[in-house]
Amino acid sequence: MIASTGSAAEVIVESTGFSDFLRRFLRTRSAVLGFVLVAVAVLVAVLSPWITPVDFSRTNMAFTWEPPGKDFVLGADALGRDVLSRLIVGAAVSLVVALSVLAIALVVGTAVGMAAAWYGGWFDALVMRAADITFAFPDLIVAILIAAMLGPGIPTVILSLALVSWPGIARLTRSLVLSLRHELFVDAALVCGTRPLTILLRHCLPNIVPALIVRASVGVGFVVMAEATLSFLGLGVQEPLPSWGGMIRDGLPALRSDPHLALAAGVALGLTIIGFNLLGDGLRDLLDPRIRER
Amino acid sequence: MAAYILRRLLGLLPVLVAAVLLTFAANRFVPGDPITIMLGDQGGNVQLERKLRAEYGLDRPVTVQFVDYVSKLAHGDFGLSFRYPGVPVTQVIKDALWISPLIAAAALALAIPLGIALGIVAALRRNTLADTGIILVLVAGLSIPNFAMAAFFVWIFALKLGWVPVAGWTSWRHAILPVVLLAIPAAAYLARLARTFMLEVLQQDYVRTARAKGLTERLVVWRHGLRNVLVPILTVCGVIFGGLITGTIVIETIFNIPGLGRIAIESIFARDYPVTMAIVMLFTFFYATINFAVDVLYGLVDPRIRIEARS
Repeated sequence: MIASTGSAAEVIVESTGFSDFLRRFLRTRSAVLGFVLVAVAVLVAVLSPWITPVDFSRTNMAFTWEPPGKDFVLGADALGRDVLSRLIVGAAVSLVVALSVLAIALVVGTAVGMAAAWYGGWFDALVMRAADITFAFPDLIVAILIAAMLGPGIPTVILSLALVSWPGIARLTRSLVLSLRHELFVDAALVCGTRPLTILLRHCLPNIVPALIVRASVGVGFVVMAEATLSFLGLGVQEPLPSWGGMIRDGLPALRSDPHLALAAGVALGLTIIGFNLLGDGLRDLLDPRIRER
Repeated sequence: MAAYILRRLLGLLPVLVAAVLLTFAANRFVPGDPITIMLGDQGGNVQLERKLRAEYGLDRPVTVQFVDYVSKLAHGDFGLSFRYPGVPVTQVIKDALWISPLIAAAALALAIPLGIALGIVAALRRNTLADTGIILVLVAGLSIPNFAMAAFFVWIFALKLGWVPVAGWTSWRHAILPVVLLAIPAAAYLARLARTFMLEVLQQDYVRTARAKGLTERLVVWRHGLRNVLVPILTVCGVIFGGLITGTIVIETIFNIPGLGRIAIESIFARDYPVTMAIVMLFTFFYATINFAVDVLYGLVDPRIRIEARS
């Protein structure tokens, strides 16, 4: 199964091309729905400096618990801050954290996985052992351990989520590179005297990128959810920065009188994660039909 | 089989060693001196400080502290709490110990039949409106985090309809919402698996044979289909149970349930490191034990796994 993955990625690239990919993508209704939801979230996040009605951190005691209305479209929170503005900035916070986690996990996981596959031996054994041990810890427990040491905050979120995310990518990369090692073009490069680093980056990496993209796109939803969970527990994003998880936590006690506080953030968070998961599943089915869900 | 079990058991060792090392390091090298915090306005009281340091074993070399930590762990002793000076950690978490596994077990008991039923219905009505509808519900169930779903459920079922209490932990009615909320993502996950497995099983030769010999569709599905779907489903239940136990951390925080999860979060903010680390150890231990049990179960059910693991 592993041996064919690298060449299958090539087949897809060779035989389909972008326009064909687009046509098949547009036929998958759930993936298109996911793409639309993700696009909205990303647009809101990117445009957040310009489209927030007011400053997200400005408190105004005259408007505490203001219900939704003309001045505050989604009302105001316990400190009189505009909920809509906080929701919009929360999108940016959430996506920036998720992107940072994925970037770190991808770089570390790919580098470690490639090195493990190429050099083998004790380094390979060490890396795979470390990955096994990381898998054996529940994700939330890792975050709690790190939060206890570093204290709550964005660094804690990024570090703990990157820590639980890299082993999966390292394993995938390792298995893909192991199968590529015996391909003719690698042998050819070796015979030409190409350095291992160049072979890995120039010849192997492009072949595993499609699989990595699929893997990352399936993982975004998980990272967004995990960040929101940590922020909900108070271990993640800290005030005055808004986070959807934190907004839900703050809104829960006021659920009876002002349900819009928790529900607005809940809808935004739920739709965003649904979007990422639908898009990720769609991309996986389109780009790599053999990694079906099990 | 015995060799297989032994190998799995040895596989647990690095995890437990890592957990012991990490929790010890976290306990000893966190910012801030716990004794200074404990002394508070009694900061000048050298005698009391010396007494506390001796009581907590913090006046000895780190290596001695580590040996002491490990030998105490082996006896189920997690040391003394920082937040409640002089009180053993075991005392702090004693009453909470069974709440998280209990909630998780109840959620699993709800999720298994619900998930399998939904998955099989979706598989049998493949590519119909019902199938698409179920798939959408499953995606939502997997995607919407517990605490966001909790906001909606509490608002509707507790505040608007008044069917269940909002929060707390005094009657069985308090357990309904937490268990249901915890079960939803697990059921959605199981349903996806059940659907996939059922679709696979329905294409097998023995199903075609069963149909060809004139069995009713109901017999084909229940006698031949369900049984073969159950084996792979049951083996993932362990992993799901492990996830559910850590899921209780969030659920207990939402509903103010005095379980291990809520105590873990509280003790992080109270800088009560021994309690936090004890709970980290316990959750890791639960998780490792469950995974071990699943591995053994898997080896029992499927002999190929035992042989593969050998090479």
